[in-house]
Amino acid sequence: MALLHSLRRSLRLDPSTLEARVAADDDRPAKQLLPTGPQVEIAASDPLLAYLQSSPGPVDLTSLELDSPAVRDLREAGVALVVPLISQGELIGTLNLGPRLSEQEYSTDDRRLLASLATQAAPAVRVAELVLERAGEIQARERLEQEMRVATLIQQQFLPHELPKLPDWQVAAYYGPARAVGGDFYDFIELPDGRIGIVVGDVTDKGVPAALIMARTQSVLRGEAPRFLSPGEVLRRANEILLPEMPARMFVTCLYLVLEPATGRVVYANAGHLPPYVRTADGVIELRATGMPLGLLPGMAYEEKEAVIDPRQSVLLYSDGVVEAHGPAGDMFGFPRLRALMAQERPGTELLNHLLEELHEFVGRGWDQEDDITLVALQRTGGGEHVLLGAGAEPVSAEAAERRVLLTLSLPGEPGNERIAMSQVAATVAPLDLPTARLERLKTAVSEAAMNAIEYGSQNDPAIPVEIEVWVTEDDLFVSVADRGLSGPIPDAEQPDLEAKLAGEQKPRGWGLFLIKHMVDAMEVVTDGAAQKVILTLHLRGVDDAGQPV
Amino acid sequence: MTSGATTIEVRRLSPSASTIAIHGDITSGTEPALMDAYVQASDDATRSIVLDFSGLDYMNSGGIGLLVTLLVRVQRQGQHLLAFGLSEHYRQIFELTRLDDAIGIHDTAAAALAAAGA
Repeated sequence: MALLHSLRRSLRLDPSTLEARVAADDDRPAKQLLPTGPQVEIAASDPLLAYLQSSPGPVDLTSLELDSPAVRDLREAGVALVVPLISQGELIGTLNLGPRLSEQEYSTDDRRLLASLATQAAPAVRVAELVLERAGEIQARERLEQEMRVATLIQQQFLPHELPKLPDWQVAAYYGPARAVGGDFYDFIELPDGRIGIVVGDVTDKGVPAALIMARTQSVLRGEAPRFLSPGEVLRRANEILLPEMPARMFVTCLYLVLEPATGRVVYANAGHLPPYVRTADGVIELRATGMPLGLLPGMAYEEKEAVIDPRQSVLLYSDGVVEAHGPAGDMFGFPRLRALMAQERPGTELLNHLLEELHEFVGRGWDQEDDITLVALQRTGGGEHVLLGAGAEPVSAEAAERRVLLTLSLPGEPGNERIAMSQVAATVAPLDLPTARLERLKTAVSEAAMNAIEYGSQNDPAIPVEIEVWVTEDDLFVSVADRGLSGPIPDAEQPDLEAKLAGEQKPRGWGLFLIKHMVDAMEVVTDGAAQKVILTLHLRGVDDAGQPV
Repeated sequence: MTSGATTIEVRRLSPSASTIAIHGDITSGTEPALMDAYVQASDDATRSIVLDFSGLDYMNSGGIGLLVTLLVRVQRQGQHLLAFGLSEHYRQIFELTRLDDAIGIHDTAAAALAAAGA
């Protein structure tokens, strides 16, 4: 291939026709350093190549007797003389010359000069080629590294930074990215009825495409989970939403389990993911339910099953990266080993740490992790301890303990999604029975805040999410709308002035903020680096329908 | 995916007045449809344009901006802009943004039409 490539870059030294050829050659690659003559492709099997390889100097095409399509093509292109460029015994290209301007034959002196030129030019051309190849390789490697950085960043943004605090449960999660970052994810979704949705999934493919699909899947699940409490229905809806968006040959396996912490009752559905293990008094069992991966086929139904996790039992959700991890001898960690470790677990010990220690011992030092590894462990204990492994641990403050998160929603920064934010928040706060007028005002405020976040914070880029959180304390309802601050800090709210607006002096963003401010009892803008959050507050007690103190 | 559909209906009530009824949403995306409706609703003899908001589901600040644009066009033609059918919530927003200073807000269709002289 390298040879063919070089041959295509043949030079034609014929000043009389050069100009016309350049003009007629507009579709040639833009990066060529010299104007080229007509492109004649020479097949690798053409006898001309062998002839040139062995030829000591310029070859006269007019008199050459060789059964070769290339010779015919070159003659048609007006080439009279071909000078092979040979570097270290390898034919790397040719100089193609048309007839002499004087219409005389090329003289012996001409040929000697050309042969000498070819001898000197060939190594120079070869070196230039090697430099270009090397630069290309370096660029390709840098692109790959950059891509991996982006994929890691996306992954980190979307994985939960906090674990749910569940009385009588010990919850732990681990995510270990492979060097080429796969598409593993896990999530905890607080549901409006006090239950908690737990997701573990894996996107086929690696790198940025997988990370983006992972982010999208997660936001779809965060959106659907609170609306449809049935796990089978959530997966069914997620499949329908993701299907048209899924690139060819990609899909997502995903297990979705809903836990009622007080009773240990779990309801779950599975989109082609590995079934979780449960350690019971009678040994380790699997929570099986049938269902196709997300994003493969339309109209899929997902079987929904139930189980009860008793005190001192535990559940392990995991991705295939753990069972497929290879030891130094090439053997796999495997299901039997994972299952046996589950069975050995002693109540009161930390399951996840134990599994990770065993895994690291198995793979040995200098392990080149081929795939992401995700583990989520739920242990029903007497106490309410919480352990977060891996990156992103945040200290849990005493204040946070009093707040009850009703909704965590991540929306693509796409215009129109403010409507989703609005309806999601409205559905989430429905059980609070806000007076209609206050609910309407909250909806407008959320929609305006989300619209600003999408338009300014994400600059309408669906890949840059807007995060919405709803929580309550005893006295107040809070909604936060967080963006990435791409358009700079949030300005002050502006009193709408029709005259100024008509003169183009007021920005719509300021108007939105003005509206928000008047729709809720308090509005606060919190900045954390470039990221910014608008926090809306509605008092739940001590105010009338108009928000006035009573 | 959830940008609600908007339908706009124009009725010439008399040589001097027309109504524009908006069903669904008013956002900045409604601009082409609303401006088309205004062209249909208005000619040299038109004095009043009455907006019927009784079918309004959702309006955001983009929609308010659009009403301001409409207001400019209406005033340039020497016409009046009136409205009825606003829910309590959107009426409050009109007051907040002072749109009610420039648009005559009425409780009922009859009141708005009477004010429009239709």
